[in-house]
Amino acid sequence: MSWVTIIWSMAASACLTLAAMHFLIWARRRAARADLLFALASAATAAYAGCELWMMRSQTPQEFALAVRWLHVPAWALIVSLVAFAHVYLRAGRLWLAWTVCGARTLALLLNFGPAANLNYREVTSLRQVPFLGEAVSVGTGVPNPWMLVGQLSLLLFVAFVADTSLAAWRRGDRRQALVVGGSLVFFATGGAIDAVLILWGIVQAPLTATLLYLGLVAAMGYQLSEDALSAARLTDDLSERDQQMTLAADAADLGLWVWTASQDTVWATENLNPMLGFAPGEPISAEAFLTRVHPDDREPTWQALQRALDEKSEYSTEYRVLLPDGRQRWIAARGRVERPGRGGAPRMLGVCLDISARKQDEAEMLRLHADLAHASRVSTLSQLASGLAHELNQPLGAILRNAEAAELLLRRDPPDLEEVQAILADICKDDQRAGEVIDHMRALLKRRGLERVELDFAELVSEVLVLVQADATTRKVRLAVEVPTTLPPVRGDRVHLQQVLLNLILNGMEAMTDVPVEQRRLVVRARPAEGGMVEVAIADAGPGVATAKLERLFEPFFTSKPDGLGLGLPVSGSIIGAHGGRIWAESGPAGATFYFTVPVSSGA
Amino acid sequence: MTNGSSQPTVFVVDDDPSFRRAVSRLLRAAGHQVKVFCSGSEFVASLPAAGPGCVVADLQMPGLGGLDLQAALAGSANPLPVLFLTGHGDIPTSVHAMRLGAEDFLTKRAPREALLEAVGRALARDARERAERTRGQEARARFDALTGREREVLEHVLRGQLNKQIAGDLGIHERTVKLHRTAITTKVGVQSVAELTQLWMEAFPKGQ
Repeated sequence: MSWVTIIWSMAASACLTLAAMHFLIWARRRAARADLLFALASAATAAYAGCELWMMRSQTPQEFALAVRWLHVPAWALIVSLVAFAHVYLRAGRLWLAWTVCGARTLALLLNFGPAANLNYREVTSLRQVPFLGEAVSVGTGVPNPWMLVGQLSLLLFVAFVADTSLAAWRRGDRRQALVVGGSLVFFATGGAIDAVLILWGIVQAPLTATLLYLGLVAAMGYQLSEDALSAARLTDDLSERDQQMTLAADAADLGLWVWTASQDTVWATENLNPMLGFAPGEPISAEAFLTRVHPDDREPTWQALQRALDEKSEYSTEYRVLLPDGRQRWIAARGRVERPGRGGAPRMLGVCLDISARKQDEAEMLRLHADLAHASRVSTLSQLASGLAHELNQPLGAILRNAEAAELLLRRDPPDLEEVQAILADICKDDQRAGEVIDHMRALLKRRGLERVELDFAELVSEVLVLVQADATTRKVRLAVEVPTTLPPVRGDRVHLQQVLLNLILNGMEAMTDVPVEQRRLVVRARPAEGGMVEVAIADAGPGVATAKLERLFEPFFTSKPDGLGLGLPVSGSIIGAHGGRIWAESGPAGATFYFTVPVSSGA
Repeated sequence: MTNGSSQPTVFVVDDDPSFRRAVSRLLRAAGHQVKVFCSGSEFVASLPAAGPGCVVADLQMPGLGGLDLQAALAGSANPLPVLFLTGHGDIPTSVHAMRLGAEDFLTKRAPREALLEAVGRALARDARERAERTRGQEARARFDALTGREREVLEHVLRGQLNKQIAGDLGIHERTVKLHRTAITTKVGVQSVAELTQLWMEAFPKGQ
């Protein structure tokens, strides 16, 4: 076995191996077009090596000429694939220049298959045996083909194109790629061209050994690509480490992370999402399967929230219940956002889920406690009013009794005064209704209930409260005044709860005036439209007022100035107004204290 | 006493129109003459024109309350008896009212008999007190005719002193005392000392 055969065969097989590897990489990842072009260039180099070996081993001038002619096919492929590689890999280059290079090379290939023996020789006249690496190899002699210049021009253009492209990449900041790929392309292509010129023009009597230079080129490019593959692998390692860290963090925070590809309806998720949403471990999740686990009442809103986020590419934020296989239900809070990965990629939504059952339970418990407290406070308020209410009931009941007695006497007369009896019966009905209303109001206030917001006429609300406190006000010799404009818009709120607040503030105000001279005891309930779509209500007394230091603390629980007070009336009023989205506060001056609160105007108005 | 002989009237004072109407109906049906007022101050303003009768008032009224009304009546020339009605009988107030001389204290839903009896009692009391007041006035007019010395002698007679003792106390002759006593009985129009004493009690009930 000769060295020439060994070296050239090994060069060819090395190139083929690289070509196969990178072709496979491209086959797996179609986006890696640089790998495909590199594979083509390597394969072309292998073929080029084969043709060179053929030239060195040819027995006749005709065979030599044929080998040279076929050499130009891999040469063309090499140049074209290198142009494309440089363009794709360095992401730069003037397109017109690239097309010119390819055009010139293609022209050279056409001329190669023209009437002359090949591109380089018009005719190969003889073969000489030249010593090379310790053996004799064939070198042709003949008439050079002047069209050979076209081929060499294409090489020159190629060098110019690569230099230009590398410069652009260098300027852009990709210096290493520009240096390794551009530099090696320019260096080895120039070297190959010089080698070919010297030998083919017959200046140097030696076999063509461009393969070795092209091998260097392939090695340089292969090195660069493997560097890229290595850094990609490192990136993958980093990513998987980050992924693990994220999963750990998600686990620690009880967050289920997910990525939903809407077009395929596939969900990637961290392991803890499955049990959270009631899926078996490892069971694939899809939006469709997910929705069947959502509580029927929450299904439609949840789906709409997802769709809206997708359509508007906005944030997704919702809370829903999922029904677990064991029949329990769990509250989940979900947040997400829509992401579009690259051009033409399917939109994906990235998000997290959090189990908020405990919080929801606390909220429900809080609501229940608030309702209980409000109820207790109402009962206590009503017990304060008990004697007043008895009076309020005894008034119509007494009237009914007196009327009935009168009717009885009138009917005993001869003739009975039927007209008067008729009037009496009408009065009895009216009084019965009046007593019933008092009882209804009382019962409403005594009922344990949650918040039911409806549209309310504020003047009516106040007048119903006044029915309950009027008797108390008379006993306390307090004059009550109501200043509610008829143009006041209706408010939105819970009738009973708002009446409770009014009752509380009115009773407080009346109590504050106990030590005030009778003629000054006046309590005014005022209402006016306020900014921000609210109605502002003021309850002004003529009492001694509240010390500034105490004003702030009035709404704190158990802060009370009354010896027998629980100190819950104002805090409960505060939480009721807060639940309505309003504000409650107090002001004090020489003329007395004024308590204010706001409630929203009904949007239906 | 502009119309002392006219039929007595029940004055109903209550701020609740419905109850006012009902109770006045009942009282009318029971044969009483009724006049209604919607507040204590309205009634007090009309008091000079009010004749005999009694007042049926709500204890709890805005403005002039029941007890204020009672006080105003007691200080007037026509101290009509007051009968209180209340939505709820609270004991401290009722005790207070009774101590101030309220005729009665009933809840608004007291039985008819109780109400009518109380009204009857109040009217009777008014008639009695009114008669006493009339008699006392007549008696006082009779005593007004006495001279200063005669009054002095009268005071001693009412204390039950004998002529001799009176003559000694006043430093006059016993016969002069006898003359004064004759003048007194003639002027006042009585036959005996017993009659004289009774008339004096009528004229000055609290022993003035």
